[in-house]
Amino acid sequence: MAMPALPAARYPNSELEKKMGALAIKNVTKSFGDTHILKGIDIEIDDGQFLILVGPSGCGKSTLMNIIAGLEGPTTGEVHIGGRVVNNISPKDRDIAMVFQSYALYPTMNVRQNIAFGLETRKVPKKEQDEVIQRVAKMLQMDHLLDRKPGQLSGGQRQRVAMGRALARDPILFLFDEPLSNLDAKLRVEMRTEIKQLHQRLKTTMVYVTHDQIEAMTLGDRIAVMKDGIIQQFGSPQEIYERPSNLFVASFIGSPSMNFIDCHLAEQNGQIGVSLQTDSDARFLPLPNGQRLAGRVGQEVILGVRPEQLDVAHSDDNVAAISIKVNLTEPTGPDTMIFTKINGKEVVARVHPRDAKGPGETMRLALDMSKVVLFDPKTELRLE
Amino acid sequence: MIQSTRPAQYGFAERWLPRLVLAPSFLLSLVFIYGFVVWNGYLSFTASSLLPRYEWVGFHQYARLFANDRWWVAVFNLFKFGVLFIGISMLVGIFLAILLDQKIRFEGFIRTVYLYPMALSFIVTGTAWKWMLNPGLGLEKLMHDWGWTSFTFDWLVNPDMSIYTVVIAAIWQSSGFVMALFLAGLRGIDDSIIKAAQIDGATLPRIYWKIILPAMRPVFFSTLMILAHIAIKSFDLVVALTGGGPGFSSDVPATYMYAMAFTRGEMGLGSASAMMMLLSVSAVIVPYLYSELRRGSR
Repeated sequence: MAMPALPAARYPNSELEKKMGALAIKNVTKSFGDTHILKGIDIEIDDGQFLILVGPSGCGKSTLMNIIAGLEGPTTGEVHIGGRVVNNISPKDRDIAMVFQSYALYPTMNVRQNIAFGLETRKVPKKEQDEVIQRVAKMLQMDHLLDRKPGQLSGGQRQRVAMGRALARDPILFLFDEPLSNLDAKLRVEMRTEIKQLHQRLKTTMVYVTHDQIEAMTLGDRIAVMKDGIIQQFGSPQEIYERPSNLFVASFIGSPSMNFIDCHLAEQNGQIGVSLQTDSDARFLPLPNGQRLAGRVGQEVILGVRPEQLDVAHSDDNVAAISIKVNLTEPTGPDTMIFTKINGKEVVARVHPRDAKGPGETMRLALDMSKVVLFDPKTELRLE
Repeated sequence: MIQSTRPAQYGFAERWLPRLVLAPSFLLSLVFIYGFVVWNGYLSFTASSLLPRYEWVGFHQYARLFANDRWWVAVFNLFKFGVLFIGISMLVGIFLAILLDQKIRFEGFIRTVYLYPMALSFIVTGTAWKWMLNPGLGLEKLMHDWGWTSFTFDWLVNPDMSIYTVVIAAIWQSSGFVMALFLAGLRGIDDSIIKAAQIDGATLPRIYWKIILPAMRPVFFSTLMILAHIAIKSFDLVVALTGGGPGFSSDVPATYMYAMAFTRGEMGLGSASAMMMLLSVSAVIVPYLYSELRRGSR
């Protein structure tokens, strides 16, 4: 669908600003007395990218969002939006729009007034306001809701109105603060797709805070995984999934989460690898290009294996296969989760239901040794 | 379903015990509230003076009442008092609530300080303010002692102004309560609404005026109801503060009724004035109850 023309430029050089509409956060910290919420955040994204801030609750992601929006000030550091430092610029002049978890609709105003409020405040002429409302209502298919009060809307409709209010602003940066957390599971998936479509259509830079790693993976161009006020890893979803920089990122991203198996790095027949022990087997599995780890032979490492990297072994690939005893199965429909023990640790394998064996039976699993990752148990960092 | 599974012997007690327990209070309120209301209504149509005398005189007492200057002083006083007391208490209370809502330190302490006057009875408030406003004892004397000899604040003894001293004392007593009601309402407003409005570019006064206060409508109405009936019933504050004086300049209908019925031996007139008060309270309460009950049954 072709986008109707944007409302008349509010900034003389709005085209220019749109081009540089990226976000840069430079060494931002936030402390309340001795409590350090953010400990030096550095993020830079290009115009039109979709940035995800993801982490468990209390990791500082919402504080960072408030700092980007200007609702809170950083203790130190700089925030750049659209190429200018906005530290001393109030939220309304940052050219941003925000969608909140609780929707934050104005309860006594109907949908039309909710969308118009920001326009009125910025003294947009009445005629132009109506045009913007029509455009937004059409884009989000909520023409029929315009005269209703928020109390008369369902959760999904309220979320749509909240997005409409943000769209009416036509900002250079959209901020989403856990916008889907209050919706039920089915609606959440629908709205997720809709937000992604919206981003593809508008190509505006977006920042999205969530604690849901699936939302992070599905929506983001760039993901910043946060914990304890520090960015644990910043990269593309695929990078973060395949090459997590530490144990926390590895366990946080992916469901079911990555298996961590304690083992020794050993050398056998000139090959460096790990020894794995199951209830029914013991095997040495060499690592491809393991020579880079020659210095660590004999040390303890943590082997990180995604459940889907443990697949059913076919008779021919004998190299990295190990026989295990099934303790428990969890069918999910498309896949069946097999629970077993390797080196005394509970391990989950994701296999095709056709290949799954029942509890107590043994089956052979192949490890994709080219994809596994190793972590240092002390520093918890990934070994290159 | 549940009842049928219970042993039969509980049936009798279960049916009758609640009624039995409620019967005394039901009976008491029936006799001492509604019974006396009816009795008073009857008295207002009789020629009762010092004691009840059941001689039917029709609307004679009401005619006397409406021809009585003192009654009209009382009515206009109630009007002035009501409007000023409700209006100013509401404004002060909302203002305090908004200030307290700015996430300030020691909020719990400050809230208690403002709410404390509500814990006093109007008699105590009236007495304390009588001392403070007494020109020979309180504020005026203090100013004179400090050397500001031209200072006068004689409202308490000035027939034109005495009703306003009642207004001051009543506002002092009630605005903390209004503040508590509105603060509770303001706390119910989602913080992110304010954040959203800030990003929309609204200033704090505009946020309160356009978004938050309109959402306080239910709080506003319940506060109005509570203050209105406090105003109409006001008796003890006036008695303690001004005693209705100087002369009868600060009379309100309740003190008028008391004076007529119990000290001036004009029971019929007093009853008639009491009926007028009952009708004005009903005029406020009945529509309110009607709307509340209708909402409840839906």
